[in-house]
Amino acid sequence: MAHALHAPRVNNNDDIVQVIAFRVGVGDFVKQGDIVLDVETDKAIVEVAAEKEGYVLKLMCEIDDKVAVGSILLWQGESADEPVPEIEVATVASGGGNARPTAKARALLKELSLDASVIPAAGDRLTLADVESYMAAHGIKRRDHTPAVAVSAQESLPDVPGELRDLNAEERGMLITVSWHRDHAAATYLEVEYDPKAWEDHAAAYASANKLMLSPLLPLLAYRLVQLVKASPRLNATVVNGKRFEYQPVNLGFTVQAGETLYLTVVRDAASLETKQFIENLGEVQRHALQRKLSRDETTGATIAFSSMARWNVSRHIPILPPYCSLMIAHAAPKGSGRAVLGASYDHRVLSGFDVARLLMELAKPPV
Amino acid sequence: MNLDRDAIKAAVRAKVIELAKNLGMDASDIGDDDIIPATGYVDSAAILELVVWYEDAYQMPLKQEEINIDNLGSINSMTEFVLKRKGG
Repeated sequence: MAHALHAPRVNNNDDIVQVIAFRVGVGDFVKQGDIVLDVETDKAIVEVAAEKEGYVLKLMCEIDDKVAVGSILLWQGESADEPVPEIEVATVASGGGNARPTAKARALLKELSLDASVIPAAGDRLTLADVESYMAAHGIKRRDHTPAVAVSAQESLPDVPGELRDLNAEERGMLITVSWHRDHAAATYLEVEYDPKAWEDHAAAYASANKLMLSPLLPLLAYRLVQLVKASPRLNATVVNGKRFEYQPVNLGFTVQAGETLYLTVVRDAASLETKQFIENLGEVQRHALQRKLSRDETTGATIAFSSMARWNVSRHIPILPPYCSLMIAHAAPKGSGRAVLGASYDHRVLSGFDVARLLMELAKPPV
Repeated sequence: MNLDRDAIKAAVRAKVIELAKNLGMDASDIGDDDIIPATGYVDSAAILELVVWYEDAYQMPLKQEEINIDNLGSINSMTEFVLKRKGG
């Protein structure tokens, strides 16, 4: 049954709180006590924690919304596809007009110092479209726009007409990843070609012995990577504030394409697992990705990563490094070519080309 | 959810054919006892999709160790496994 998280009372005298940040998105799994959003009153900013564990089903307000204490901030459920009761959040008008502005409209009004009361609304709420229509009719133009995620200091809107849309949770995640890769990592790439037969024979023998449904080729390659990194801890590191940070666990990131969404799933402390357990754990997070039921632990904290595009028959792909991850292996095996490629995107602040070339040459051979 | 043996077989077969079609393969001649991974009609990612669909269609969460050739290797074994788990 869906569970509502209500706006807390922060101060005795404040009946209204303003939502200033969401820490979670729809589909995220949160544990009891996880911080899910921040609210602000005139006197304080307060973190709001989940009262129960469960999947986030729906956010009932937007950033900058002012909501009454006790109103519903979000719904959680035991499964990600649980239905949400049809109840609207009690947002509070901030403008002086008859129609209450939506959060997006309010942001634009604020940006342009416009008075909501002078702008006609097409419906019950004053929407972004209403404000933009008013702007067009009165020759008012936006000068610039600051996106929610700081991808650069300032970006101007293109001169071509169009509409700004919010990114969904996955798109925001990808933007953060790409921005970290661009702004922090000294990312470069190298690759080796190898004869795939030895690995294919190794995987086929393992599958037969264990009666596996799914080919273990990629899991076994990923596990070999984990073992090689375990043997050379300097590969399992990043740079923070000008210092080398060597991770204790080896958390393996493994890309999974679920529909149109690319997830970086994570098997934690992979180096402590035996082969069979590792393959089972990886299979489990892959299924969770397809079911859209990944927990936070299954999507965060990768210290190294593995990605294959063999399914798509590409000859090469150069992965983006996730935040604080210095090494991502890229596997490709063009059909019918009789060859395969192991590449690596790596952070040159942490690893040298020699480190990575040696690793790839070892990885190209299955364990004896 | 229809737990009739023939209905389960037909549904599993239809799903395999659909997944194979997504990969540009025609699996319409797949036999009920053919080992699905060995047919070459579907790759590992598609088999994973098949397993996730199967769990959802028959409301039957699987343990990772249950996902093996003995239980789910063919259309017939997938059918029998549902019936066994559901007491059919």
